[in-house]
Amino acid sequence: MLQSPDKLDYAAKRGQSVNRWSAARLLVTIAAGALLWATVAAACLCIGSNGEVGWPADPNVRAFRKEVVLLASLVGASLGAAGVVYQAILRNPLADPYLLGVSSGASLMAYVWRFPFVATMGGSMLAAMSGAMSQQAFAFAGALAAIALVLLLGSRRGRLEPVTVLLVGVIVNAINGSIFLLLNARFPEVTAGAGGAFAFLVGGIQTSLLPVQEKIAALIAGVGWLVLLYLSGQLNVAMLSEGEAQALGTRIQRVRWAGLVVASIVTAAAVAISGPIGFIGLICPHLARMMFGADQRRLLPWSTAFGAALLAAADAVSRLLAGQRFVSTLLPVGVLTALLGAPFFLQLLWQRGRGAEES
Amino acid sequence: MTSLLQSENLSFSYGDRPILRGVALRLAPGEVVALLGPNGSGKSTLLRCLLGHLPASGTIIWEQRSLADWRRRDLARRVAYLAQSPAWEPEQRVSDVLRMGRSPYLQAFGIESPRDVEVVGQVARALGLADFFDRRMHALSGGQRQLVFLGRCLVQEPRALLLDEPNTFLDLRHQVDLGHRLKDLAKRQGIAVLMASHDLNLAGMFADRLLLLEVGTIAADGPPEEVLRPELLSRVYGLPMERIERTDGKVYVFPTVNGDAAS
Repeated sequence: MLQSPDKLDYAAKRGQSVNRWSAARLLVTIAAGALLWATVAAACLCIGSNGEVGWPADPNVRAFRKEVVLLASLVGASLGAAGVVYQAILRNPLADPYLLGVSSGASLMAYVWRFPFVATMGGSMLAAMSGAMSQQAFAFAGALAAIALVLLLGSRRGRLEPVTVLLVGVIVNAINGSIFLLLNARFPEVTAGAGGAFAFLVGGIQTSLLPVQEKIAALIAGVGWLVLLYLSGQLNVAMLSEGEAQALGTRIQRVRWAGLVVASIVTAAAVAISGPIGFIGLICPHLARMMFGADQRRLLPWSTAFGAALLAAADAVSRLLAGQRFVSTLLPVGVLTALLGAPFFLQLLWQRGRGAEES
Repeated sequence: MTSLLQSENLSFSYGDRPILRGVALRLAPGEVVALLGPNGSGKSTLLRCLLGHLPASGTIIWEQRSLADWRRRDLARRVAYLAQSPAWEPEQRVSDVLRMGRSPYLQAFGIESPRDVEVVGQVARALGLADFFDRRMHALSGGQRQLVFLGRCLVQEPRALLLDEPNTFLDLRHQVDLGHRLKDLAKRQGIAVLMASHDLNLAGMFADRLLLLEVGTIAADGPPEEVLRPELLSRVYGLPMERIERTDGKVYVFPTVNGDAAS
């Protein structure tokens, strides 16, 4: 069949122009990501840990589930967004938001907080606040201290080199972990009432948080996310060598500092309320990259949405498994993020490998 | 003619090891200049100093303004740089790489203007890359990939192009092709080209002027037939050299391989 001249012309022009990354396109991308998340989140609201499946009629149950779903989404979104920035700035596809000590610092300090003398001290310092508040605050402070240490030791005359920062991050993580295990071996009674050492090393969505803690975490993550989105245009260039990035007009050291510090603060806010939840920050940027290409401006909103949706879904599945008596207690959600995300990830990887062979 | 780039007494050391010593050079619009010299003579370092990536002493003036007074973003709209081995990701498409050239023009949040998209399209068509737009970088040949990186430079709409051994990964045909393209850009668009190179004859074919570096100083600066002298090159490269002249005045040099000196 003959094509009309218009169509031929269109076909000739195809591939010769790019879709402009306009403000409207950015907003549409964010809206599409939000829609995806909202769909998943609505489904998650229908799953209870008591074996109940369906829209909760009881307003109290509804409020409770809403809180859990929103918390999981907040943590997942933070990790998804931070993962994009870490991978771009560290120029390493294996980078995840925990690589620079954020989670190990948070775990260590959350644990240290349980020592009676620290709790008393913290309690007197933060007399107006409850004990739970100070444990999250301790974890947040621990995360920030760890990242500050990594950036301090990893920079030379104020300059950040990705490889050096990565190595220092690995070392600080190892030290934090060792101190934790050493202290725990010497004072096993400290974690006895808190679910054992395991509880500090594997995160989960807690339901014991105060509204003020949730609001603070959401505020920090939200503001941080906007800063990261602002930087997203420069993240593409951050993946190049330093000389190339500079020649493209980017103050690369400034981008590295701003990106790593803000992404770490966003991660710290998430880790402080959930503990370390693996896999999300590593896999969501890759999912987004495989589906929407390598442009960091598009990756950031999508990886954020994927993180929120995936963690909310994983948490819902963990409730489902507990509700159906498949397991006796709620599984740590990190176990499920890997189980849910990995097959999807592998499928995409396989498809892409086949596409590369054909092209 | 007014110079686009002017540099006097430029020196740079890594620690206490001097790399460049009192280098002076000019670059005029529409001029193709090849930067020659053995490994370690300071070619790449010189390019990086001129771009402000390394802190050199002496004066470097781009368009009548001292390098220190340029904002990085503004300089990137005038001067583009092609690194020796440009970084790329397998996931990137040709269009992603080309668009990066608009980085010095992007607004907050990485928002592009209609002009940004227009320039990317123009450059892609000019270089014959339009059909490759959606190709992934790993699916391209070395020659095509190098063309994409040249495209990224041109998308910056530069007045000067600084290239660090752009022929490294190219076969002979692509080397000659690149030479023609650069010469064409210089003549038609008035872009000044400064290119570090190891290929003396290719440089002689396409450059208006050759700059020969010898351990951080300029050993010669002039048209190809002046610089491609066997005795000078023998000294700088430490190798006996010969030269043949064509009737049209073009000169070619090559190392003596069958004499005692080379054995």
